Amino acid sequence: NNKYQLSSLPLQILFYVNGIYYIFYFLVTLAMIVYKSQVFSYPDDFLARDLALLFIMAILEALRLYLGSKGNLTEEEAPLGLSLALTVGSVVLSVYFLVWQTYVLKADVILNSVLLCAYGLESVLKVMAIAAFVS
Amino acid sequence: PPETRAAAWARPRSGPAPVTDVAELCVCDLLVAQCDVNCCCDPDCSAADFSLFTTCSVPIVTGDSRLCSQKAATYSLDVEANPPEMIFKLIDQVNPSVFCIHATNYKEALSFRSPEMPTSENFDLLLKRFGSTAFSAEPDSWNMNTDVQNPSDANETYRYEYGVPIQTADAFLRLPSPVVSSWCSDANPAGFLVNQATKCTRSVSVEECGNVQAISMLFYTNSSILAKLHEFVFQVNITVQSIVVQSLNGMRTLLNGSDVLRLPVILDELCINIVLGVSYHITYTDAGEIIEAAASFVLGAITKEALSIQQSFDISFTQVNTKPVPLSGNPGYVVGLPLRAGFQPQGYPFPSEILFAALVLNSNKYSQLTILQSTSNQDCLAAQGARTPVLFGYNMISGCQLRITAAMKCQPLTQTLLDLLKGQNFPEYVASFGNSQAQDVLDWVPIIHLRTSEQSDNERIYNPFQSACQIPISLEIEVKWTKYGSLVNPQARIVNVTATISTTTLKQLPPGRERTIPVMSSVVFTDISSPAEPGYKAWPTINVKLPFDFFFPFV
Repeated sequence: NNKYQLSSLPLQILFYVNGIYYIFYFLVTLAMIVYKSQVFSYPDDFLARDLALLFIMAILEALRLYLGSKGNLTEEEAPLGLSLALTVGSVVLSVYFLVWQTYVLKADVILNSVLLCAYGLESVLKVMAIAAFVS
Repeated sequence: PPETRAAAWARPRSGPAPVTDVAELCVCDLLVAQCDVNCCCDPDCSAADFSLFTTCSVPIVTGDSRLCSQKAATYSLDVEANPPEMIFKLIDQVNPSVFCIHATNYKEALSFRSPEMPTSENFDLLLKRFGSTAFSAEPDSWNMNTDVQNPSDANETYRYEYGVPIQTADAFLRLPSPVVSSWCSDANPAGFLVNQATKCTRSVSVEECGNVQAISMLFYTNSSILAKLHEFVFQVNITVQSIVVQSLNGMRTLLNGSDVLRLPVILDELCINIVLGVSYHITYTDAGEIIEAAASFVLGAITKEALSIQQSFDISFTQVNTKPVPLSGNPGYVVGLPLRAGFQPQGYPFPSEILFAALVLNSNKYSQLTILQSTSNQDCLAAQGARTPVLFGYNMISGCQLRITAAMKCQPLTQTLLDLLKGQNFPEYVASFGNSQAQDVLDWVPIIHLRTSEQSDNERIYNPFQSACQIPISLEIEVKWTKYGSLVNPQARIVNVTATISTTTLKQLPPGRERTIPVMSSVVFTDISSPAEPGYKAWPTINVKLPFDFFFPFV
């Protein structure tokens, strides 16, 4: 009954799908970096930089999804707001993998654009949920 | 001057910038200013050439095929059209794979990096980095801005380098040479600093006297040479240095006024002023620029019966402000090169070499140590002046027959024979190394003159007071040389030169009789190098001593 439940169902579904998609994204990107390092000439410092950023992104994503889910379910705006802030960091990292990576393959472009769309949709739903919780 | 030369070389240079535009890249264009067969991308090919091709050896030129979308240049022959023509298309090639490279943020990803050229400044650094048996494939300098390594000095690419064909206003400087058969081909370019000499046959006849281009002086002097590669601003005209006219019986005379261009004309059933030989002399600077070009011609004539002539061409290069002294080795003498010799001029404590004046016909070798050359006519007095240079390592012997009549006097005969054996300018010093400079006194070995007499002891005893006439009849030059330097690359060094003249008594002939005596000269090279002694390291000694108290309880 929507009168008593402020948690956003679409947002929760999106969190769940995002989590599964991100696991897929992480494994595929890691596999492609390994492939690139074997097929192309990939100096060690560039490789280290890309791998580090990928792991940071994974940690950030896990934290972000946990906070967002918790905030949505407990109908508290603080964790949800923090999750929104972390989304900005995730967007920056996704843009890095889309544009500033050492080798950007077509698969990278596809994966990152889908991820960015998901982030965009999530951000909109989070703002609506926060507005619903606050009022 | 060496200082500016060192400064010029201190600038970091790298290889030429890679060509990345597919429309300009043509890997089958190997011949300069000539059409390569079946090479559709060659800019030197005309439509007539394309009609003779069967296929295109290079059908497509692309960049890295792993890129998602890239430009490709395709070349194909349209055999249906009459005449067949070459079709060039610039298309976009798309890689359908999902793993194609969309973009890279790493500059050296798709092409090889131009390596750094070693100069005197960075040589030590490069040696430290790359001098061992293995080196890291990714040194820290890969993150450096690669623009530094691109040739920023545009002048660098415009200097002539060894072997580069010398360019003229229309194509390149040609040195006709025989290809496959002995017929002349005009497509041989002269390479910079490559001294070449070629001889080839050209078919001419008196009727075509004025028509054949390649027998006229104009053909060889009308092109102007570019001073710098690919730059049409500065051009050097080919000047006529000297003209020698060769008559039908082979006699050559040097013409006085050599400014006038002489073109082939028909005169009295002969075609005169046809080019029999051209000798180019190019003067260059150490910056790779050509500043002067001169050509010396040998013109001749042909009769009605002649069907072909033999032409000879050669080209030589001289650096500006230097004297063209050819070395006979660097530093040791090379077998087959002439011995370098010189004189000590009066008043100077050091020897100076004879400079080579006429570069036209006289080869430099004739100013060096020479011996008599045997001719087919074995008469000594008839073969005046035929001499052959002494070449290092080649033992030579030559001679002639001297006819002595009763009328000949002793003193003039002795003098004539000495001139015959020794030549006009018999030198006093011989260079011990092939590259000895005239200023280094200690590098020159004096020629020791000895005289021996063939008179036997019996004759000396019987005629002690009769002043017999001693005439020289043989000259033997013995050159002792040694191996100098390292064992793996020994250099030949001349240590001693001895010229021995043997004389014999000239007995007075009864009038009307004549005698023939052989006159001989020889050169012998003797190797007096002491054998190398191998040195062995001392065998390692095993220093084993038992400790002092090894047998403690008992000792």
